[in-house]
Amino acid sequence: MHLDVAFGTLFNLLTDPYLIGLMLIAVPLGAFFGAMPGLGGKLGVVLLIPFVFGMEPIAGAVLLLTMHSVVHTGGSIPSILFGIPGDGTSTAVVLDGYEMTRNGEGGRALGASFGASGIGGVLGAVFLGMLLPVLEPIVLAFSPAEFFLLAILGITFIATLSGKNVVKGLVLGLLGLMVAFVGLDPSTGGPRYTFGHLFLWDGIDIITAVLAMYAIPEMIALGSGQGAVDYGDGASKRYKISEVWDGILDVFRHWKLTLRTSLIGAVIGLIPGLGGDAASWICYGHAVQSSKTPERFGKGAVEGVIAPETANNSKEGGALLPTLFFAVPGSSGMALLLGAFLMLGIQPGPTIVTENLDLVWTLIWALAVANVLCVVILVALTPWLGSLANVRPPLLIPFVLVFALLGSYLSSAAWENLILIFFLGCLGYMCRRHSWPRPPFVIGVVLGPVAEDSLHKALALWGPSFFLRPLSLILIAMIIGSIVFYVWRTRRENALEGIGHD
Amino acid sequence: MLKRMLAVAVGVLFLAGCQDNSGAGGEPGAAADENYFSGKTITYVIATDPGGGYDTYGRMISRYMQTYLPGSRIIIRNVPGAGHIVGANTIYASRGDGLTIGMFNTGLIYNQLLQLEGVNFDLTNMSWVGKASNEIRVMLVATNSPYKSFEDMLAADEPVKFAASGVGSAAYLDTRILDTVYPEFDIETIAGFAGAEGELSMMRGELSAQVGIASSYDQFVANGNGYFALAMSQLAADLYPDVPVAQDYATTEEGLQLLGLLEALSDLGRLTVGPPGIPADILAVLRDAHSKAVNDPELLAEAMQIHIPITEGSGEYVEQRIIEALNQPAEIVALLGQAATSQ
Repeated sequence: MHLDVAFGTLFNLLTDPYLIGLMLIAVPLGAFFGAMPGLGGKLGVVLLIPFVFGMEPIAGAVLLLTMHSVVHTGGSIPSILFGIPGDGTSTAVVLDGYEMTRNGEGGRALGASFGASGIGGVLGAVFLGMLLPVLEPIVLAFSPAEFFLLAILGITFIATLSGKNVVKGLVLGLLGLMVAFVGLDPSTGGPRYTFGHLFLWDGIDIITAVLAMYAIPEMIALGSGQGAVDYGDGASKRYKISEVWDGILDVFRHWKLTLRTSLIGAVIGLIPGLGGDAASWICYGHAVQSSKTPERFGKGAVEGVIAPETANNSKEGGALLPTLFFAVPGSSGMALLLGAFLMLGIQPGPTIVTENLDLVWTLIWALAVANVLCVVILVALTPWLGSLANVRPPLLIPFVLVFALLGSYLSSAAWENLILIFFLGCLGYMCRRHSWPRPPFVIGVVLGPVAEDSLHKALALWGPSFFLRPLSLILIAMIIGSIVFYVWRTRRENALEGIGHD
Repeated sequence: MLKRMLAVAVGVLFLAGCQDNSGAGGEPGAAADENYFSGKTITYVIATDPGGGYDTYGRMISRYMQTYLPGSRIIIRNVPGAGHIVGANTIYASRGDGLTIGMFNTGLIYNQLLQLEGVNFDLTNMSWVGKASNEIRVMLVATNSPYKSFEDMLAADEPVKFAASGVGSAAYLDTRILDTVYPEFDIETIAGFAGAEGELSMMRGELSAQVGIASSYDQFVANGNGYFALAMSQLAADLYPDVPVAQDYATTEEGLQLLGLLEALSDLGRLTVGPPGIPADILAVLRDAHSKAVNDPELLAEAMQIHIPITEGSGEYVEQRIIEALNQPAEIVALLGQAATSQ
C-alpha cells in the first residue's frame, strides 16, 4: 500500500480551503435532502449536477460524493423525531429511534444516530482503503445464490424480532412476504395480486409500508390519548447537548456492535444487487440477535439505532468501490455519481488505481471527512431539533400526517399510495393496539423480493446445486446457527423464568 | 383562461393557414407561434425516477428547448412506474395543447404490438417532437466466455445463457427475438438483471452475453470485459465497422422482418413526444425548438463530456418510423407473441 499517497491526499484535502469550503456547502445540502421525506438524496444530486459542470474533476467529484455520503445521516432525523423515514434505508431506525423520542430520549437517539453514522462512514471508508489490493475477488465472490441465502438469513431474524410472540411474529412475517409478492412475477412477467392497477406492478412501496405500520398508528394513538410523548417536566423543550453527547458515547459503549455492523454494511455495499434497505434491516436483526437483552428492542434500545445507522453510512464506502473500479455502479445513487464522474472527465475502470491513485484516495478521504463534518454540524443543530419533536400533540399530529402522506406519495409519485397507506395504516394500528410485533412484517416486505428474485436467478444459473457453492455452505451454516442459537436462548430463558417462579 | 387559449389557438391556426408551414423565423406568423409559449409553463414528463439515462436526456433536452421557446418555463415531472407505461399513459392522457410533452422508452412499441396489459396509449397518433439519439442494439459477449465470435455461438451445442431485465421488458424481447430469428441458435434467457447486474454476472462467469444498447457498454468493452459479437442495426456500420450485422445471418423472411423491428428501435432513441391532438403549428414550434436544442453546440459539448451520444431526428421522421414499425402483419405479431412468452 502506498502510505505516502494515502496520507498525503488526506493532508491536501484538509489544507485546501476550496475543497473544504465545497464540502461545507455540500454537507448541509445532502443532510437537508435526506431529511425531507419524499425529496431524497438522489434528487439532490440530480439537481446539483448541472452546477459541477466545468469544475475541476477532483473538486466536482468531492462535492457530489460529499453530498451523497451524508444523505442517510440527515434521513434519520425525521425517522427518529416523527417516525417518518426519509428514504427506504432509514426505515429500520424508526423502530427504536422513534420509540426513544417517545420515551423522552430523543436527544440521545439523535446523538447515537449521528455518532453511529459518522463512525460507520469513517469505518466504511477505511475498510474501502484497506480492500484496494484485493477488491476484485471479493466483489465477484457474491452471486444470486449468496444474495438468496443472505436474504433468508435476514428473514430468520423474524423469530428474534417477534419477542415473546413468536407465532404472532411468524404470522405477520408471512403476511409481509405475501405483500412482497405483489407486483410483476420475476419469472413470468405476469402481474400478481395487482387487481388491474398499474401502480402495484412495481410492488408495495417500502416507505409507504413503514409509514403505515409506524407513523400512522402512532399518530392515531397520540390523538386518542394513548402513548403520548414523555415531556418530562415540560420545561425543557430543547434537547440538552449533554443528552446528545450521551448518545454519541453510546456508540463507543457498544463499540463491538458498531464495528461489526460497519463491516456488514460495507460488505453489503460492496456487492451490488442486494440493496441498501436490506443492509440496515439485516444489521438491525443482527443487533437484536446478538444482544443479551433482545426484549428491549422495539421499545427504545439505543443499539437499535446504532446498528442500522452505522450500516447505512458504511455501505456507501463499499458501494463506491465497484463504481470506481469496474464502472459498475452498485446502486442507483452510485449510477448517478458514475455519470457525473464521467462528465467531470474521471474515467472509472481497473486502471484507475494505477493511473489515478491520488484521486481514489482523495475520494476515500472525502467520504470519511464528510461524515465527520456532518456529525459536527448536526450535533450543533440538535438542541433546536428537539423543539420540533416536543410540539403539543394537537399541533404535531396534522404536521406529521401531512409529511407522512407527502412522503408516501412522493416516494413513487403515485397517488394510489395514499389509499394503500390508509389500509395498511389500519392494519398497523390494530397491530399496535393488540401488541402484535410489527418488525417481522417490514422484514418480510423488504427481504421478500430479494429472496424471490435471487432464488429464480440462482436456480436458472446452477439448478439446486447452488446450495453446494462454498460460500453458500458457510451462509447455510450461519442460518442454521442463527436458528439453533434462538431456540437455545429461548429454552434457557424459559428455564430461568421457571426457576424464578419457584 | 380556456377561452383565451382557444382564441390563441384559432388565431394561430388562421395565421398558419395564411402561409406555408416552414416555420422558419422572420415572418410575422412564426413570431406569433413562438409567442404561444411565452409566459407559459411546459411540463416535461420523464417516465423514470430521477437519475438514469432517460432522466439525463430529458433534463438536458428540456433545459435547451426552454432557451429556444422564449418566455417559457419547462419543469420536469418524473412519473415512474410499470416499466415506463405509467409515464406514457400520463403523457397520452394529457391535454393536446403543447404544454405537456415528455420521454419514455421506445420499447413500448412491443407493448402496443402485443396489446399487453396496461397500455392506454396509441403511439401512432401521438405528437412526435423529435429524437435525440440512436440506440443501437448489440449483443455484448463476455471476454471470459467460451465464445470468441457470433459464429462460435451459432455452432454451440449447449444453450447460451443470456442476462435480461424483467420478463416482458423491451430488453427481454430483444433477446427472445434473436432466439426466434436464428432457429439453430439456442438462447437461454435469465431474467431479473436490472441496471449493471448483468455485466457483473458476466464478469463472474455465470452468463455469457446480453443484448442491449451499444453506447451503455462502451466502458465495459474498454475495460476488456466484453466485446460486441453482433449489431442489430445497419446504423452500427459507422461506429463499429468490425461488428457483424444481424441481418446477414438471417435465413428466413420472417426473421428479417423481426430484425426490422430491432432496426427501428435502434433508430428511435430518446424520443420527445406529446399527446395526440397538438395543433400542427404548435407542434411545428416544438419540433423546431427540439431540433435547435439538440444541434446546440453547448448541448453537444455537454453530451460528449458525459458520454451520451446525440443523433438528431425530426418529429416527422420519427412519426413515420413509428407508424411503419407498428404496421406489422398478423403472423409477425404472432411470432413476436411466441418470443415474448418463451424462455
